[in-house]
Amino acid sequence: MRKYSYLLIVLLTFLFGMINVNAQVNVIDRNINNNYGVNKKWVIDDYNMSNVLSTDYVDASEKIYDFAGILSENEKSILKSKIDTFIKKNNMELVILTVNKQYYTDSYNEDVAADFYDYNDFGLDYPNYDGILIYRNINTYSNDPYYDIYTFGEAQLYFNQTRYDDILDSVYSEISSKDYLNGFSHFINLIDSYVGTGIPSSNKYQYIDDMGFIKNRFKPPFFFATILSSIVTFIIVKVMISKNNMVKEETKADIYLDLSTINYSVRNNVFNHSTTTSYTISSSTSGGGSSGGGHSSSGSSGGGHSSGGGRHG
Amino acid sequence: MSKVLDIQCPACNAPLHFNAKLGKMKCDYCDSVFDPKDLKKTDKEEVKSQDKVVQNENYVTYNCPDCGAEIVAEENTSATFCLYCGNTAILKNKLSGEFAPDKIIPFKVEKEDAIKAFREVTKGKPFAPKLFNQESNIEKITGLYVPFWLYELEVNGSVKAVGTRVSSWTSGDRRYTKTDFYDLEREGNMIYKRVPVDGSLKLDNDLMNSLEPFYFHYLEDYNHAYLSGYYAEKYDVAKEDAVKDAEMRAIESTKKAMLNDMGNYSSKTYKSDTLVSNIVKTEYVLLPIWMVNVKYNNEYYMFAMNGQTGEFIGNIPLDKKKVVAYIYMIFAFTFALIMLVSYVIFLFGGGAV
Repeated sequence: MRKYSYLLIVLLTFLFGMINVNAQVNVIDRNINNNYGVNKKWVIDDYNMSNVLSTDYVDASEKIYDFAGILSENEKSILKSKIDTFIKKNNMELVILTVNKQYYTDSYNEDVAADFYDYNDFGLDYPNYDGILIYRNINTYSNDPYYDIYTFGEAQLYFNQTRYDDILDSVYSEISSKDYLNGFSHFINLIDSYVGTGIPSSNKYQYIDDMGFIKNRFKPPFFFATILSSIVTFIIVKVMISKNNMVKEETKADIYLDLSTINYSVRNNVFNHSTTTSYTISSSTSGGGSSGGGHSSSGSSGGGHSSGGGRHG
Repeated sequence: MSKVLDIQCPACNAPLHFNAKLGKMKCDYCDSVFDPKDLKKTDKEEVKSQDKVVQNENYVTYNCPDCGAEIVAEENTSATFCLYCGNTAILKNKLSGEFAPDKIIPFKVEKEDAIKAFREVTKGKPFAPKLFNQESNIEKITGLYVPFWLYELEVNGSVKAVGTRVSSWTSGDRRYTKTDFYDLEREGNMIYKRVPVDGSLKLDNDLMNSLEPFYFHYLEDYNHAYLSGYYAEKYDVAKEDAVKDAEMRAIESTKKAMLNDMGNYSSKTYKSDTLVSNIVKTEYVLLPIWMVNVKYNNEYYMFAMNGQTGEFIGNIPLDKKKVVAYIYMIFAFTFALIMLVSYVIFLFGGGAV
């Protein structure tokens, strides 16, 4: 019996090892000699040091960081090839990050993803560290896993809420059914398609500042100005034209009325009837519900990024 | 006293002319001044026994073969062009037919003042053509006595209307609005005195109405001496035809007066009326008007000024090039201003998402 117990332990250890093979990610030590692994322009101070140290420092060339162990080596290889093609074609970073941690809020997931991108060497070749991070946490809310897409630098401009929603909704069935190869492939295809389409018109008058935040450019109100200028011009010109027309038709003779001759034989003001109408005063209601949509925010690094809004499934 | 009838100076026999500022006849030669009323007194004594044909000898008419205009002038006042079409080939004739106004308002505004007023007619009117009030037009400014019918009208009848008074209040979560309806009626009569209607077909009614008011307490008994230096027109709209305009105005004003008398309501809606007007009295008068007919792009634009009070009225033609230039200018300026304001709002309103 004891012999079989050892055999069972060896077998379990082997199986566990097999599972963990997928979950292995090469992590580098952060220390003062390598500036804690931060090669970007972020200022590392007391405020964000704990975030830096709690973020795994990885080899930025691997692109797929499967801490949750949900991808096989073969799957990783297929996805890596797609990612490399994407990066070469679009000149922006693309990273897949999977974790298996109990984060209870969407914003915590976002902090983890943003720190992972910011405190690693992703997008280092591009001026605003342009890139996209596909995120999967298999353990959020215990039985309600979470996935989202985060954009950094110029990549933020390629996505508006419609595009984020389309991507997140399109991959839902594959991701929620744990078909990760097809799910992430679908993710990459959609991202590639939208980046290829270009910056949507809704983001046309936006740009990314030095710290990666989306800023609005001045959007000249051409349509509004044309309509308003036309109305103003019409009114002013009409008034100016009317100044040329001094002849007015006279329809009354008030000034010739001899007030002393006014004589009334009948002056009746007789009440006829009344009508009453009523309506219920509606109390004002405020619009409820949260959008759950994407947003732009600042990471602990001080740099900006955008989030797709996330999905549970 | 036949010399007076010829409007010659009783002192030196030189011609007398009416001086609008003085309101009197003045001798150009010896500077003697005479009140036209005094001249008229002696005139009347002489005229009593004379028939109208004799009276007509004081006048001549100038007929325009082009536009058919007929201008009356005192025999010593000569005309060189037609006031209406500018034709210089006008025919001088003896006055035929009746020309016997009851009263006249003499000119109070001198020609120099009329010229000054006409020079200012384009002020503040950027669409006026550039040379509109140039000297060649100013020279044509002419003092014209225009025939007017003055009607005394009695308007009587009734006006019916519906008035509403609206009140509202809140009880609990309901808002109530109560509308009270009233039947309003006024019946009575009122008199309009000296409602003027011009008796000239050639003069636009709206233009003549725009010259009102004339101050009728300055009306004098007519004396041909007032015509000296000016022109006049014979009426060619009969008093029976001209009265329609006066009646329409008097009835409209009566309707307004009766509606006003009905008191304050949230709204008053006119329903019907039985108003009619009756002529109490008609006077045939001459009223003083400075006028000029300006040709622009082959069309005539008539300007007139009340010779008693003074301000030129008329429709100035539009210089289309100027209108287009202004449209572009105003549009461009407004457009640029909106852009600038939007940019300032953008700068101070914050640009970050």
